[in-house]
Amino acid sequence: MGGLTRVLAVASNTFRETVRERVLYNLVFFAILMTLSGLLLGQLSIRQDEKIIKDLGLAAMDGFGTLIAIFVGVGLVSKEIDRRSLFPLLAKPVRRSEFLLGKFAGLAFTLLVNVAVMAGGLYATLVLTGRRPDAGVLAAVYTIFLGLCMTVAVALLFSVFTSAALATVCTVSLVVAGRYADVLQHVREAAPGAPAWLVQAVYYAVPNFHLLDVKDHVVYGDPVGARALAALTAYAVVYMAVVLGIALFAFERREFT
Amino acid sequence: MRAHPLLALLLVPLVPLAARRAEAERGSETRADVLYLWSGEQVRRLADGFATVLADVYWLRTVLYFGSQRAFAVQSNYTLLRPLIDITTSLDPRMEIAYRYGATFLAEQYPAGAGDPRAAIDVLRKGVERNPRSWALRQQLALFYFFFLDDARTASGILLEASRLPGAPPVLETLAADVMSRRGDRDTARALWKRIYDETEPGPMRDNAALHLAQLAALDGVDAIGRATAAFRGRTGRWPSSLDELRRAGLIQGNLTDPSGVAFDYNPETGQASVARTSELWRKDLGR
Repeated sequence: MGGLTRVLAVASNTFRETVRERVLYNLVFFAILMTLSGLLLGQLSIRQDEKIIKDLGLAAMDGFGTLIAIFVGVGLVSKEIDRRSLFPLLAKPVRRSEFLLGKFAGLAFTLLVNVAVMAGGLYATLVLTGRRPDAGVLAAVYTIFLGLCMTVAVALLFSVFTSAALATVCTVSLVVAGRYADVLQHVREAAPGAPAWLVQAVYYAVPNFHLLDVKDHVVYGDPVGARALAALTAYAVVYMAVVLGIALFAFERREFT
Repeated sequence: MRAHPLLALLLVPLVPLAARRAEAERGSETRADVLYLWSGEQVRRLADGFATVLADVYWLRTVLYFGSQRAFAVQSNYTLLRPLIDITTSLDPRMEIAYRYGATFLAEQYPAGAGDPRAAIDVLRKGVERNPRSWALRQQLALFYFFFLDDARTASGILLEASRLPGAPPVLETLAADVMSRRGDRDTARALWKRIYDETEPGPMRDNAALHLAQLAALDGVDAIGRATAAFRGRTGRWPSSLDELRRAGLIQGNLTDPSGVAFDYNPETGQASVARTSELWRKDLGR
């Protein structure tokens, strides 16, 4: 059994586990939200129903996905430790790195399914309300998925270091900071005394979700070019590689008693 | 003792009843329309990443607030209208509909609107600043300067700016010249409202343009009656005692009603006709 096969086996188990935990139940809420918005907004919003349906659909993908990524992500490792199910697993010929990467891939796949079904629901709502399905929305769906994968990586990192509760607090804090990354970048305008190197270091340390947010662009039909998407993908991949690298390093050295 | 789950369900309706009873006992007052955050920039900062969806929520709130004040309030109060529009447009500066409809809600005379054309113009100016390539926003801004502030010079300048933007219809340049050369001219106002009517889809804005067109037609009717009464006085040396007498004299024909079907008021002492106060077209400063 090769390393990749073992990673995929852990990922497949993680996916099944998250589905068993009824994580995908948020899709029911999403379906209700989309149905209601499709039915009601045309009457209430004065010709803004298409924009609002897109805004709501993308915000729900982002919001629900982030909640899943944080709250399920921090439990991926800590739960295995608390239940002591990690120890027999590590006794098997599975490396710790394969275990951690498998956990990451499993939750990322759950989120991919979640986002894909929601995107389908969004398009269905647009078509059923007589709107033209707009392929440009997929750019925002894709960057939302990248952001969710980054959140999972951050959640995994903290869950390796500390308890589930503390990991949740740390992950939420970092995610919120990442959403305000542009504020961090310009913090010296408000606090000129802050050392520039420190501001830069903090700015690059937080996951820059502000950068990945193209929702308002696609809703107004602005094209998000392939080069921009490639650059955003590269950023997300590099950030995840660094975060997961630190998590793997810490996980490899952690003593379990 | 085992609690039956159905018991909890049966108790659910009691919660609002008990809450209302408690509110009544405490003498607390529930305020329907409260705005906790008045600065759009603050709200935008707090909602980073979700600003546009929050703009939608505020826009829906604006429409519902305006609709409820206009249709259901005993005495319409539009205090929150301006801040709601400001928050909406700060959260989503590209939401043109919020500037255009928001300005219309603000400009219309009370109680149909807030009766604050200067606030409406501020909203449109903000829209033009944030969306410099939108000729439609500039066109509406020009119309509001011309119609509500009687400022033909500014209106003409804005129309000229709009005509140079990509996608702008060539007629804007002609309109700019008309506005400048024929200040206060009813035909020019009609041409501007007609453009708004033709460009907008069915809804409050188109209805508003239709109302203004009907008011202009009513003013044409008033003028026609004025000319007829003057002719009558020239012939007989007195004003006609009624509009029927004017019709019998053959000086005017057709229905002497405004476009909403309500008969014009007539003052036999002055020979002046006017739009009836009972007409939906009547406004205090109509035809100023």
